[in-house]
Amino acid sequence: MAFGLLILASVVRFWAKGWIAELYLQPRFFFPYYGLEFIRPLGPYTYGLFAVCGLCALLVALGWHYRLAAVGLFISFTYIELMDKSTYLNHYYFVSLAALLLAVLPAGAYCSLDARRRPARWHSHVPRWTLDALRLLVGIVYVYAGLAKLNSDWLLAAQPLRIWLPAKNDLPLVGFLFNYPATAYVFSWFGAVYDLTVPFFLLNRHTRPYAYAAVVMFHVLTAILFPIGMFPYVMIVAALVFFPAEWHERLLARVRRLLRRPAAEVRPARSLVYRPRVRLALLTGLALFFLTQLLVPFRYWLYPRELFWTEEGYRFSWRVMLMEKMGQVEFKVVDSATGRARRVNNSDHLSVLQEKMMATQPDMMLQFAHYLRDYYARRGVQRPQVYADAYVSLNGRLGKAYIDPTVDLARQAESFAPKPWILPFDDEITGL
Amino acid sequence: MKKSILLFSLSVLLAAGGISGCKDVLEEPVASTGTSDLDRKALLTQWADTLVRPGYQRAGTKLTALKSQTATFTAAPTVASLQAVRLAWREAYVEWQKVEMFEFGPAADVSLVNHFNIYPTDVAGIRQNIASGSYNFELATAIPQQGFPALDFLLNGVAADDNAIVQSYLASANQRRYLTDVVGKMDQLMTGVQTQWNGAYRTTFINNTGTNAGSSLSLLVNAFSRYYEHFLRTGKIGIPAGVMSGTAAPEKIEAYYHRGTLPVQLAQTAHAAVQTAFNGRSGQPSLKAYVTALGAKDSRTGQSLAQLITDQFVVSAAQLATLGPDLYATMQARPAAAVQAYGEMQKAVRLIKVDMTSAMSVSVTYVDNDGD
Repeated sequence: MAFGLLILASVVRFWAKGWIAELYLQPRFFFPYYGLEFIRPLGPYTYGLFAVCGLCALLVALGWHYRLAAVGLFISFTYIELMDKSTYLNHYYFVSLAALLLAVLPAGAYCSLDARRRPARWHSHVPRWTLDALRLLVGIVYVYAGLAKLNSDWLLAAQPLRIWLPAKNDLPLVGFLFNYPATAYVFSWFGAVYDLTVPFFLLNRHTRPYAYAAVVMFHVLTAILFPIGMFPYVMIVAALVFFPAEWHERLLARVRRLLRRPAAEVRPARSLVYRPRVRLALLTGLALFFLTQLLVPFRYWLYPRELFWTEEGYRFSWRVMLMEKMGQVEFKVVDSATGRARRVNNSDHLSVLQEKMMATQPDMMLQFAHYLRDYYARRGVQRPQVYADAYVSLNGRLGKAYIDPTVDLARQAESFAPKPWILPFDDEITGL
Repeated sequence: MKKSILLFSLSVLLAAGGISGCKDVLEEPVASTGTSDLDRKALLTQWADTLVRPGYQRAGTKLTALKSQTATFTAAPTVASLQAVRLAWREAYVEWQKVEMFEFGPAADVSLVNHFNIYPTDVAGIRQNIASGSYNFELATAIPQQGFPALDFLLNGVAADDNAIVQSYLASANQRRYLTDVVGKMDQLMTGVQTQWNGAYRTTFINNTGTNAGSSLSLLVNAFSRYYEHFLRTGKIGIPAGVMSGTAAPEKIEAYYHRGTLPVQLAQTAHAAVQTAFNGRSGQPSLKAYVTALGAKDSRTGQSLAQLITDQFVVSAAQLATLGPDLYATMQARPAAAVQAYGEMQKAVRLIKVDMTSAMSVSVTYVDNDGD
């Protein structure tokens, strides 16, 4: 329920800030995901898409036509997320996955309008594994985020916190501490230990209250320090799934009293029991789902070079707040017939956010190069060649040339294969 | 059992953290000795009180002089009064170069650069405005029909020589009025911006000490790097040198109708102003001191970022100087030299826009971001 309300709040926030128009209507070009190029903004209908998403979120929260709403929420939210790479956020991915699980699991069985309207749908107990699946998902997010921190930049150089913290030195009371590198080390190590261990402390009955207090403190702190939007609140709510049913019932009872509603009528306990075939199908599906979840973040091992530099296999892996990466890229378009070269003003084609995101991500540069090729071909440039002159800095290293400026990107195809035209990093980050 | 393993690994990790942390803190006391240089309010106050407000003050004075010379000239156009107003224009134009980069806050609110210095100027549009006697300087189409570039045309290019120019003003009341109105608009906008800075905006500016998008430092750094990249590198050098289009276009230089030594003087003044703004005064808060105090350096070579930026500015300023004395002639005869200067300026752009902005952790957009 809280999950639904939170997504609703996200949608409203997104809308209210004018981001729908800024991010999905105004740009002339979008960065779709490889293989999912058909997913793109729907022009003015994009507002409708957001409305559907918000409505589904509300229905999920109320538990009204729960199953349909959960499926709708998963599809609409995922579609929105996949429209443009430049808005990629790990917590959107988490919301998508959680929505997928909710669409499959019987979360509408208790305390929902469906269950009230159709008593046959009401169940007081659901199989334990359905809840454990959600706990496992949250656990994976934390542990993988923690594993991703086990690298030399994070632990030994305290990067990027060492850059980010002094920028917050004007906070009242504690701000001055952020000027000292020692603070960045403490935060880095604490963050890594926290991510790696907190799911286990949440699982344990004795440590759970303290662990949850830590969850709240940790995420409130990150919300104050970093521009990460709804993520802290998503995780604070998601971690509630670790509490047992009795705790949630007490919470519900308290909410009822607060709203001056009568206490829930006492009904005989009734357990949800799946037919064996359905149960097998669900369990197999979940097993496959989690196997994928466990493996996908490690796909970067298939790529030969530094992950942070090439970003091959970086997304969808719970790598959160790991890099201070900034870049600048200029494109040159050459007419193959005349040899005449011109430089592109990226801001003529892209939003500020798109420009910033593209400047550090090679797959986006390639997509934009292909867009420029087609754009200039339509304007009479003969077989346009597109060259990128890019410069990127990573975690406090001085910037360096990023893309081979002699490679015609117009003729490079996108694929999952390593991109040889990314120039070498010339440094090493050790660790996972 | 599980718990004890966790506790054990926890303590090992914390101990390791402590050791490694201490070692590094002892090795690199940069930030801990220079924390006063990390005081953003002091930096913003320094900018407001030693760069922005005095800069506008001086530019405003030159504009007032230009306004009075314009009045004298339009009241009685002679070659002497034309030369006087031209000199006043030239001095105001040079002074403008020192404040053009401050396009944030009050200046951004009124799009000051759009009203002051967008070139090449639209000669056909200006002639039409003069002929019709009706124009609105707030329209987007009117952007290249006003400001210093329009005055460049009106005072230097409207007729073949000084006598002919004087004759054209004697002959046309509309032209006299247009000249007066262009100067009047500039003076009015500059006065408005100055009033804001001398009033409430200074307080707003120095107290908005964050680093998010919309904070004073973010506005300042973004304006600074955008100015260097777009107005100085691209506008003054790149476009006329043909870097963007593939063909040199000498007629697109700043102060094209005046030509001579002025165009390169304007570019050099602008570049020197950027250097002054970055380096600041010794012992006073500055961008350079701030970047130094952050301890930003090339982790491969150990070179300080602040010093690299200072040094690169020196190199690009030297390259810029080789484009004199007549920028127009240089763009015609040896645009390659201008392309080379552009290349050196591009190196500075990267140091500012990528390395400095990254080291300062200044946001450029409001949109959420979970770590690049």
